[in-house]
Amino acid sequence: MFILKNAWISIKRNKGRNILIGIIILIIACACTVTLAIKNTAVDLIDSYKSAYDKEVTIGFNRENMMKDFDPSQQEGRESAREKFDNIASYTISDVTKFADSKYIESYYYTYSVGLNGNTIEKAEIESNNDMPNFGNHGGKANVSSTDFTLTGYSSQDAMSEFISGAYTMSEIADNAWDIAFNGNYVFINEELASYNDLKLNDKIKLEDEDGNTYEFEILGIFKENEEDSSESMSMFSNSVNTIITNADAIVNLTEKNENLKASISPTFIIDSYDNVEKLQAEFYEKGLDENFILQTNEELAESGVSSVKNIDSFATTFLVITLLIGGIVLFVINMINIRERKYEIGVLRTIGISKLKLTMQFVSELVIVAFVALLVGAGIGAVSSKGISNSLLANEIESSNERTEEIGKNFGGAKMNGEMPNRGGDRGNMHGKGMPVVQVYDSIDAVVDVKVLLELLGIGLTLVLVSSIASMVSIQRFSPLTILKERS
Amino acid sequence: MTYKKKNSDISKERLEMNVSSKKVKEQDREDKKKDAKNIILSIQNASYRYSDADEDDYALKNVSFDFESGKIYAIRGRSGTGKTTLLSLISGLERCTEGEIVFNGKSLKEMNLDKYRNSDIGIVFQSYNLLPFMTASENIILSMDANGLKIKNKKEKAIELMEKVGLKEAYKDRKVLRLSGGEQQRVAIARSLSYNPKMIIADEPTGNLDKQTETEILEIFKKLAHEENKCVIIVTHSQNVCDAVDVVYDLKKVQER
Repeated sequence: MFILKNAWISIKRNKGRNILIGIIILIIACACTVTLAIKNTAVDLIDSYKSAYDKEVTIGFNRENMMKDFDPSQQEGRESAREKFDNIASYTISDVTKFADSKYIESYYYTYSVGLNGNTIEKAEIESNNDMPNFGNHGGKANVSSTDFTLTGYSSQDAMSEFISGAYTMSEIADNAWDIAFNGNYVFINEELASYNDLKLNDKIKLEDEDGNTYEFEILGIFKENEEDSSESMSMFSNSVNTIITNADAIVNLTEKNENLKASISPTFIIDSYDNVEKLQAEFYEKGLDENFILQTNEELAESGVSSVKNIDSFATTFLVITLLIGGIVLFVINMINIRERKYEIGVLRTIGISKLKLTMQFVSELVIVAFVALLVGAGIGAVSSKGISNSLLANEIESSNERTEEIGKNFGGAKMNGEMPNRGGDRGNMHGKGMPVVQVYDSIDAVVDVKVLLELLGIGLTLVLVSSIASMVSIQRFSPLTILKERS
Repeated sequence: MTYKKKNSDISKERLEMNVSSKKVKEQDREDKKKDAKNIILSIQNASYRYSDADEDDYALKNVSFDFESGKIYAIRGRSGTGKTTLLSLISGLERCTEGEIVFNGKSLKEMNLDKYRNSDIGIVFQSYNLLPFMTASENIILSMDANGLKIKNKKEKAIELMEKVGLKEAYKDRKVLRLSGGEQQRVAIARSLSYNPKMIIADEPTGNLDKQTETEILEIFKKLAHEENKCVIIVTHSQNVCDAVDVVYDLKKVQER
């Protein structure tokens, strides 16, 4: 009590100096608050961004393994490679289900494709080379290209990567399309195919397999392929003109009806951590995945998106360190001057029997009281300004994030989606999840000064005060009261 | 008490002191034993050498004095004889290099000197050593706080002490810089009395004061010694002071009055 009382008297007495110390700490506190808020926001933003990009694993060819013994200069080598490719054991939907039953996998979705011929519609004639083997559909060896149409079934909207990426955009869509699209024989067709066959929304089309079985589908939407994404821009029709999009269940039903139908599957697994990919691959091999396949991740894509935010984070860290360093030095110097000015007072107090420890505590208390008030005021000012500063620093991120969200919405025909964007997270683990993919919307960065920031600020501030007062503490220990008083006399 | 001359070096000569007391000189051992119970402070062969001084370069060597309660003492000596050093040893601001100082039967070496300074002794300096930014009463209360004194109304007690040393109550809220030298010294004495110590140590307390004020201050000290049974030790150059005290210790020779 005596220490605090004396400290308070000294603070009141040395108003000028304490106001100066207070202003310096206030500036440091403001800078720290803004910096900490930006840092924390940047970290949150990075986390959000990474979570918006799920940790995805797909199955791809192990090209290195396949090309190991391949010698293109020799006919035998080429034949051996072709033979090797033909003998790769494919995986089926039941294999995918089996693979997905892993502690490392949070959810999964897939694309299922089968080749069918037109019954009531005609294939649009295109110039593209349809004889090219479809390496993309590596799950099976269904020769989808020898038929008129490729019927591609998605297990959920998550799987509709062409729409997410913007390669396809929905140009017309039935009002209730997304409510029923994944529950029955409904399709989306290319607008060129629709035009070629004079088809419109809610028309029914019939397709048939090579055994002559027919299957009826209702058109729920008409999509277009964006030219800039087409590699065959010189052809009359786009690549996807004869691609008909449906849901995976519809294809499962077809393959159940006709076992001769060969379907190919492309699964995407959402995993908990990229660190577990190797373990997951080993598990897949154990469960029967051919070793000519390997697991591929989207880690690079997710990382590349946050590089600018990471730059802001590291800028904030550098700024924080420089602020603390300069602030610390200034406080240190002021403390030294303070001690020199108050040498006589120290001498008198020591002479009347106040211990070095109590005296040190009094001096530190003075600084801590001033620092505490300045830190609070600084935190308040920082809190008010941090949001604006954060937003201006991260403006580009916000803009690109917003653009991307709007873009995806439009690709899915967003205007007719009743404004509902169910979180796909809710459908995790459900192979028939029908949720809409969500990309985090950043209309502004919520750079709030929360309890965490306040505690960090308090910790940093008090540490700075204590470190900068070390010199004065040491001086008090070394002062001889008699020498001080003699000097004064 | 003997005087030992170690060599002809003048600087050393002044440190090897033959101390004597003009009154104690003729007392025999029996008398000493009789008075022993009144001895509050005993300096026993105390020597002091600064940490940066040569091995033989003592500021004070082999000094032995006894001080009793109820008496007022003066320690006199030429400049450089180590008066201030002795004062700093008695007041616990420094520790003896050799020998020891015993207060109330306990060596200062074993005592917490901060506690000793803020409860057992009161110190009065020639330059008062008051805190200028405080009022007279605040300076006195500060000393009570340092002592940890637990009384209800410290200000009242401070005013009481001020009146005791001849200061008007009106001075209580006056900054000490607005007081005269004599008044400041009275505040310093009041401060030294704030926790009722057994001993008052004063370093040239009247050095900056006029003759009239000096007499008044000495009267206060005398009263403290003779009426309140305190031991008062005054380090001084002043013959007036030496004339007023009960015992004078000379750092060159010991005289007993």
